[in-house]
Amino acid sequence: MRLNSLFIFFLISFLFGCSENKIQHSKDFIFGTLIDIKIYGESKVIAENVSNEIFNEFHRLHKLLHPWEKSLITDINNAISKKQPIPINNDEVINILKNTQYLEKKTKNLFNPSIGKLITLWGFHSDFYDNEVIPNQEKILKLVSSNPSMRSIEIVNGILKSNNENVQIDLGGYAKGYALDQAKKILLKNNVKNALINIGGNILASGKHGERNWLVGIQNPRKPNALATISLDPGWTIGTSGDYQRYYIINNKRYSHLINPKTGYPDNKTQSATILLPPSKNSGVHSDVFSKPLFLADKKNKAAMAKALNIGYFLIILDDNSILISESLNKKINWEEEIEKKIITIL
Amino acid sequence: MTLSTIKITDRDHQIAKLSAIAVALSLVEFFFPSPIPGVKPGIANIIILYTIFKFDMQMGVWVSLIRVFVTSIILGSFLSPTFFLSLSGAIFSLLSLMVFKNLKREYFSIISLSLIASLAHIFGQFIIVRIWIIPHNGIFYLLPIFIVSAFIFGLVTALITIKLLQLNPKK
Amino acid sequence: MKKKLLQSYKLIKIGDWFTIILFCLLIIISTKLLWNMPQGEYLEIYKNNELLATYSLNQKITKEIKGKKGKTKIVIDNGRVRFSSSPCPKKYCIHQGWITKANQTIICIPNEISISIIGAKKGYDTINY
Repeated sequence: MRLNSLFIFFLISFLFGCSENKIQHSKDFIFGTLIDIKIYGESKVIAENVSNEIFNEFHRLHKLLHPWEKSLITDINNAISKKQPIPINNDEVINILKNTQYLEKKTKNLFNPSIGKLITLWGFHSDFYDNEVIPNQEKILKLVSSNPSMRSIEIVNGILKSNNENVQIDLGGYAKGYALDQAKKILLKNNVKNALINIGGNILASGKHGERNWLVGIQNPRKPNALATISLDPGWTIGTSGDYQRYYIINNKRYSHLINPKTGYPDNKTQSATILLPPSKNSGVHSDVFSKPLFLADKKNKAAMAKALNIGYFLIILDDNSILISESLNKKINWEEEIEKKIITIL
Repeated sequence: MTLSTIKITDRDHQIAKLSAIAVALSLVEFFFPSPIPGVKPGIANIIILYTIFKFDMQMGVWVSLIRVFVTSIILGSFLSPTFFLSLSGAIFSLLSLMVFKNLKREYFSIISLSLIASLAHIFGQFIIVRIWIIPHNGIFYLLPIFIVSAFIFGLVTALITIKLLQLNPKK
Repeated sequence: MKKKLLQSYKLIKIGDWFTIILFCLLIIISTKLLWNMPQGEYLEIYKNNELLATYSLNQKITKEIKGKKGKTKIVIDNGRVRFSSSPCPKKYCIHQGWITKANQTIICIPNEISISIIGAKKGYDTINY
């Protein structure tokens, strides 16, 4: 008996050892990535309901915009490849497509969601991209020289037409950012002020974590830990394009899913590009879209590209582990690791 | 022509018999799948404990080591990682028994000794795994499972050994 | 039957109770110390004692690793990981199924391949994985 009571005592103290928390945390896997929602200072019921509403919205978008499983986008792609016009009875998608046309121009074609064929060729149109073969160079160059562009698409009275049958829409670099903007609306509608939403590296910091700002870790692209942390002011958004998430390695060379639309090859001169954007209606989309041109642009053009896109806060890690950082972000950032001063260039 | 003769004592016969039973039990255990990977009841330990308490420590050491060597030779794992795991476990539990066998018998029965030995067995194996086979701290995650199983099987082994000793009391 | 049970109860002497209690304490403490683990962030793949690769757990990917006996297939599936094929005879590593939490480990001794999940050091609320 003595033993039993002692054992139960320890069991109870063990079970109740965990402390209570003001943060409600939920996770889901959508868009082929982890979605992580933290809500601060709301009751468990409210936090759960709002998180679920956000997850449901993401599932809807995922089904609507999926680049290779049957969706409105794959229907459009099929019609384009058959040179047939297709009616789109969906204003949301029409607006998204028109927006991508504008963004493609603005990023000097470095954001190009019409290169679905190239992405398929490189094997990234699959959840398990394990057939790791470098595609035939001729095929790549043929696709690149056919100049796929969102601007070859015309939408008149809800009818979509493209004069380039090599256009295959892949909103992989847009959908997560768009989802972030949708989540922002859901938080506002439910009057939830303090939340941190992370969609595969595109992060919205709404409000604060109690008395302090939300803290976001910046991934070291080659190590399993954070390189630095940044305190995000309320409403700010962060977006990263990195070669460490979807990639494969053949003969010690890394091939990531970030394919340069101008060359048809994955860029391997940059490891990651991270941008911070102030609160605005489209900050989610912009955080997703604008990190790509900063990742893909030549080293000497990166700063000019940031300026053209009006990005004041950026951090770029190059293939030799050296770091390019904007002056304003350098003031804000906390390095987690000992970083040698000489590898940092402040722009 | 000279014949070298080895004198085979009764004691040697006893060791051989007990070792044979221990090896047989180990083989039985090997061919029955265990519900949790890597967790085995170690029924051969009943024989080791029985030997130590029916006869003496030295005989227990013989039976235990013969069991380890013979079983591994039969199963073809001699000098493989599995063999060293088994050897290390056996050495550690024998050492723990040598240290603790002088605990006062009016307070501590075979139960305590069996529990201590089974715990020592686990630690002996974990040390080999940690330094040699998987030099990574991640394996300590598995430790609680093995400690719980050591507890359960240590207790059961002790109770069966006590029963056996009651049936065959010390001469 | 009852009598027999009572007998075995009497077999347990006072010092044995002491040993049993110590053992239970050890179980509780080791569980608390070693199983107090956050959700994992990364996967480390070891071949014998050599770290072969580190992968983020937040992806869907299959990796083939050449071990001592042959090819082991490891599947990472959005936060969880398992062995899907292995040349070892008993397939314990495959039967262990999915693991998700930091410090969880699957070991395949015959093929000398082991995988281990590690958590991120948390000085922040989230990371741009």
